[in-house]
Amino acid sequence: MQGKTGSESWQEVWDKSVNGPRALIDCWQEIPCDPCQEACAQGSIVLSSGICAPPALHAETCNGCGKCVAICPGMAIFLVDRSIGSGLARVTVPYEMRDEIRLGGEAWAVDGEGNYLAEGRITRVSGAGRPGRTMLLTIEVPEEWALKVRGVRGRRKLLEEPEEVEAIEAVEDFAFCRCEEIDYSRLREIITQGEFRSLPALRRFSRAGLGYCQGRFCQSILRSQFLADCPEEDREVESFRVRAPVRPVKLSRLGGEDG
Amino acid sequence: MDDVLSSEVVIIGGGVIGAAAAYFLCKEGAEVMIVEAEDLTAGASGACDGFLSLQTKQIGSHLDLTLESMALLPGIIEDLDIDPEYNPCGGLMLATNQDQLKELKARAKKVKAAGLEIEILGTQELKEMLPEVSKEIKGAAYCPSDAQINPIAFTLGMAQKAQGMGAKIIKGCKVENIVVTNNRVREVHTTAGSIHSRRVICAAGTGSNEIGKMIIVDIPVMPQKGQILVTEARERMLDRIVSGAEYLGTKANLDELLPKDEDAIRLGLGFTAEQTVSGNILIGSTREFAGFDKETTPEAMNAIAKNAINYLPWIKNLDVIRSFAGLRPYSPDGLPIMGPVKGVKGFYMATGHSGDGICLAAITGKLMSELVLDGETSIDISPFSLYRFK
Ligand SMILES: Cc1cc2nc3c(=O)[nH]c(=O)nc-3n(C[C@H](O)[C@H](O)[C@H](O)COP(=O)(O)OP(=O)(O)OC[C@H]3O[C@@H](n4cnc5c(N)ncnc54)[C@H](O)[C@@H]3O)c2cc1C
Ligand code: SF4
Ligand code: SF4
Repeated sequence: MQGKTGSESWQEVWDKSVNGPRALIDCWQEIPCDPCQEACAQGSIVLSSGICAPPALHAETCNGCGKCVAICPGMAIFLVDRSIGSGLARVTVPYEMRDEIRLGGEAWAVDGEGNYLAEGRITRVSGAGRPGRTMLLTIEVPEEWALKVRGVRGRRKLLEEPEEVEAIEAVEDFAFCRCEEIDYSRLREIITQGEFRSLPALRRFSRAGLGYCQGRFCQSILRSQFLADCPEEDREVESFRVRAPVRPVKLSRLGGEDG
Repeated sequence: MDDVLSSEVVIIGGGVIGAAAAYFLCKEGAEVMIVEAEDLTAGASGACDGFLSLQTKQIGSHLDLTLESMALLPGIIEDLDIDPEYNPCGGLMLATNQDQLKELKARAKKVKAAGLEIEILGTQELKEMLPEVSKEIKGAAYCPSDAQINPIAFTLGMAQKAQGMGAKIIKGCKVENIVVTNNRVREVHTTAGSIHSRRVICAAGTGSNEIGKMIIVDIPVMPQKGQILVTEARERMLDRIVSGAEYLGTKANLDELLPKDEDAIRLGLGFTAEQTVSGNILIGSTREFAGFDKETTPEAMNAIAKNAINYLPWIKNLDVIRSFAGLRPYSPDGLPIMGPVKGVKGFYMATGHSGDGICLAAITGKLMSELVLDGETSIDISPFSLYRFK
């Protein structure tokens, strides 16, 4: 996935991030959306040609405060910080689940589709005490992954190792898709019945990831569980088709009226 | 898959039509195999509305067929293990001006003569039924027999039931060729091997044209794209399926009811809205010819949203959380293409259902079962013959 802010601006962010955190914008949907611009007190984010335009970042003035990361409803902004040196980088991502991620603990950095990238230490958790607000997590990973990280997941290996999964399942179930209230156990039941062979079909049948958040919070679980449970020879690993709007938008705005 | 497979009947396509055909064939004890290139409901049946709308059908054989289909539905639904969320809610078609209302009145007369109950509502009566309708709406046609269903659950339900009766469903298996010898279908070549079969039903939706080429027959089905917006889930706000008169104009190609706006005509814009059991409101839709492209476009999304506000102003306060597009298996006159093919014994078509496949699935499935097993059908299907296009 290429940021619509363009590789040039990513290069700039990368260069400037040796001085401290800078915002990495990976927003590419042409939809009416602009809270990032409003949130930035530095005036570092500009939507040059109207509300549907891609946001552009001035890495020069960005101070890495992270306001834009927390506000972006599309979860499309991250912070990259290379100031710690020694081949490591800190990446800050928005996070909405309130489970098992602990400051100082180990976690997995994943890409936009929930694929495992690297293991890392959580060095900062902010906003955890405010229910309903997006939390920001900072994870320390080898520098080479820094631009790819889009999310963080608990290291509870339930997603890859079936024996442990059974054990965990017995003690706790959880609504892994909170919008559609689909329990983890139900997901596994649907997968193991195996009436389909692709992720989009799993989503159609289970309705997981079809709720208000559009799978932003659950699709990595959906994907890993699918990979873990669906026999390899049968499956088709096709990504979800990302369709506008990337985040909920008032119908009136979509219709070009004032909201 | 090394073993040579065989089946009494092979159904190409795991959409609503293929599933319905399998369901009815299995009821009669036939040995059935569904061959699906991707997954069940990968085609139009997984990317559409759930309107079971009688009043949008072309008067004549199309409406008659729909009436037959609707009559079969309660029995099927009773029989399924998956709840298809069938809701006999009635349907409203709204007129934005007096001309449209006049046209709806004239049509209502004819529709009634064909045996369908329909009522014309003035603004007052409409307000009682749909309190928050726009003040600009001049009246409506109300059809109490219109209903809604969840097309995915309906398709899966029938497929699962068929499976329970012995049907085999092979997914991720694309039909690449059909072997015909001595004017009879013998074998189906797929990406997962060959299947011996003397009876093949083409329920491949927009893939039907490709299938036709394999037996050197032109099946004139092409993809007609429809885009839909999905709102956040809310409490029950819409008790009925609702559409605009222009939707009918676009769908049935009725000049008097076509939209006036050029962009709207180009997009094939027509207003539809229904609230699903999960609470989301599906707002439609367009009718575009864009090949096999299934992307949604900012232009269409904007037009659909604007249009919807004209009918139901409150809808503007809802959040749109998703959009999707599906490809209708469009036939040149909008009517399905059903029946045998000259010179290729054992090949049957069940395709071209255009924007009405969910509605027509039940009767199509039943007719296919009759045709394949008995060689004749309980109702005359000549209006749906491939050869009407000559
Ligand atoms: C936006 C939209 C809204 C709609 N709204 C309604 C509505 O409200 N009410 C209504 O009644 N209808 C509606 N329709 C129409 C309805 O969706 C279709 O008529 C119906 O789904 C067609 O079903 P089908 O089984 O023929 O085709 P499909 O569902 O497309 O199934 C065909 C299947 O065949 C498979 N296939 C194709 N080629 C091959 C091959 N070579 N080998 C193996 N498999 C193959 C495909 O993968 C596909 O799964 C709507 C359609 C759209 C797009
Ligand atoms: S991190 Fe802070 S300063 Fe930088 S772009 Fe985001 S809001 Fe502006
Ligand atoms: S999705 Fe995020 S980055 Fe994109 S415009 Fe909206 S707030 Fe800004």
